[in-house]
Amino acid sequence: MAMTRDEKFWEGMRWAGFGATFLFMAFPIFWMILTSFKVARDAYSTKVFFSPTLNNFISIFQDPYNFGPLLFNSVVVSFSTVAVAIPAATCAAYAFSRYQFKGKNALMVSVLSSQFVPPVVVVLPFFILFKNLHLLDTRLALVILNLSFVLPFAVWMIKGFIDALPPDIESAAVVDGCNRFQVLRHITLPLIMPGVVTSAVFGFIQSWNEFLFALILTNQKAVTLTVGLMGLHTDKGILWEHMAAASMLIMIPIFAISFTIREYFISGLTMGAVK
Amino acid sequence: MAGIKMVDVKKQYPNGFVAIENMNLEIPDKEFVVLVGPSGCAKSTALKMIAGLEEISSGEMYIGDRLVNKVPPKDREIAMVFQSYALYPHMTIYDNIAFGLKMRKTPKEEIDKLVKEASEILGMSDLLDRKPRQLSGGQRQRVALGRAIVRHPQVFLFDEPLSNLDAKLRVKMRTELKKLHERLHTTVVYVTHDQVEAMTMGSTIVVLKLGAIQQVGSPLSLYSFPSNRFVAGFIGSPSMNFLDCTIAEENGNLFVDTGAFRLMLPEDKAAKVRDHGGKEFIFGIRPEDIRKRREKKESYSEEHINAKINVIEPLGKEMYVNLSAGNLEFMAIINARFPLKPHEEVELTLNMDRMHLFEKEGEKEAVAHTAKNATTLEGARLMADLDESDDD
Repeated sequence: MAMTRDEKFWEGMRWAGFGATFLFMAFPIFWMILTSFKVARDAYSTKVFFSPTLNNFISIFQDPYNFGPLLFNSVVVSFSTVAVAIPAATCAAYAFSRYQFKGKNALMVSVLSSQFVPPVVVVLPFFILFKNLHLLDTRLALVILNLSFVLPFAVWMIKGFIDALPPDIESAAVVDGCNRFQVLRHITLPLIMPGVVTSAVFGFIQSWNEFLFALILTNQKAVTLTVGLMGLHTDKGILWEHMAAASMLIMIPIFAISFTIREYFISGLTMGAVK
Repeated sequence: MAGIKMVDVKKQYPNGFVAIENMNLEIPDKEFVVLVGPSGCAKSTALKMIAGLEEISSGEMYIGDRLVNKVPPKDREIAMVFQSYALYPHMTIYDNIAFGLKMRKTPKEEIDKLVKEASEILGMSDLLDRKPRQLSGGQRQRVALGRAIVRHPQVFLFDEPLSNLDAKLRVKMRTELKKLHERLHTTVVYVTHDQVEAMTMGSTIVVLKLGAIQQVGSPLSLYSFPSNRFVAGFIGSPSMNFLDCTIAEENGNLFVDTGAFRLMLPEDKAAKVRDHGGKEFIFGIRPEDIRKRREKKESYSEEHINAKINVIEPLGKEMYVNLSAGNLEFMAIINARFPLKPHEEVELTLNMDRMHLFEKEGEKEAVAHTAKNATTLEGARLMADLDESDDD
């Protein structure tokens, strides 16, 4: 059906709106990408055409910046967080979704309640706590803290996916000869995979981007990329070209992961199990 | 093969709600039994208790001779077909059917043989590589059946398996399920809320209401000899007419008086009413037992009543006619060749041999035939009914 002039106008406005929003959001990233390939001299210019260099990416791995160990710390902390959080959250979510027990609602709210507290409020108590436990400047401390916000989030998210799964499918599996654990392994888990993967990615991103706790609780051995980024704010001023390169280093894994598993975000959940 | 026995089975939920109170039921081996009732009558709960998916609060449940109260579902040798089909969406049709066998560690070659056999019975050998989402509703239904029959269980449990199909397919699957039962010759417990499905499929029907068994019997005995008002109203469509009435006596005869009309009770029923001693009842008559009076035949000297036609619903062969007499309203099924019009007055005769009287308190049938009578009479009644409708 042909659009009327009015409709055409509003359609145009809509796209103009999208375009403006996109430009607004994409500009800093665009600026960052360009800057990361510039030499220091060009970093302050608004040049779009320049001879690109990879030197920034090389020099952030060299003295005095040494981003290598930082990258390693970030990878270890983020993967460990996800590796602990997702299996635990899946089991907890399954129990919350499928079992009836006393105090279930209170427990579910208390799981969520850790999300209500602003991290900056608890960072000092945690500092003292970890100091007494002799865990300051360790990756373990960061994993534990990341778990405190990744785990509750994952529990709630995965629970939503399990809730949406018709219980009849599980009953059918029980009649077919499964025990509870086999039901979870053969039936429930494959069906909630999109939810599990999505939670894992969100958890990874949260841990990867975490800054505040890492800043306060680490100083040498367990420093992560986000904290390292701040180290580029030196007494010689801000090294924009290095900072842009380091930011790229932080961003690329997230983009890569999101891109590879995008199908899971889109795929339907029950896929025709029930009419 | 095995029958099922429930002895004083009770289901009480942790919040105190009693879903089933002391259910006693014996389902003979190889029988096709239908549990029927309106929603909330606990029919699905009863089925899930047989399956072991719901725990029994008290009482005893037997499958065959085995007490299964504490036996987990997988060891009960049952198979269940769910209303939603409950196929495993991430598996192919082959894997869906084979899953139960795999879980039981059946050798691979044997699984292959059994799956092929089951899929041939159900005519879906060419669908085995597909996923459930690629199938139509009817095909999914078949897969659910295949998953059940492949394991050669002692008992089949069906939980409203046809209610997600469209009307035409439902009628077709009804026949197929009956054929399947004849072929496999296994005990079937079938749950439905649809009384037509219950009537057409069951060799025995169990009518449930609020977790209590109302009546157990063959389809026709329930239809002709309901033991209470609930069963009378639930079985049969359009449902039985119920009119408040009192019993009046005149010259030694007993009459049913509804206020709008008065009809003499046949002798056998009159005797039962005298035995009963009650005066106030609910008069029940099925729509097909109300006929238009034929004026031409002089020999036709039945009592008649006058009524006004409100609405006519023509169905082709016959029509549903909504009528009123005085302030009473009721339904009749009348042969379509009578040229009736709305708002007309008609003279009707009622087949008083087939009428029912229900107690006002408790709604029990007051002039019921004994159960023995019921089963022997029903065949004869059905034949008589067919003859009558021919010359109507």
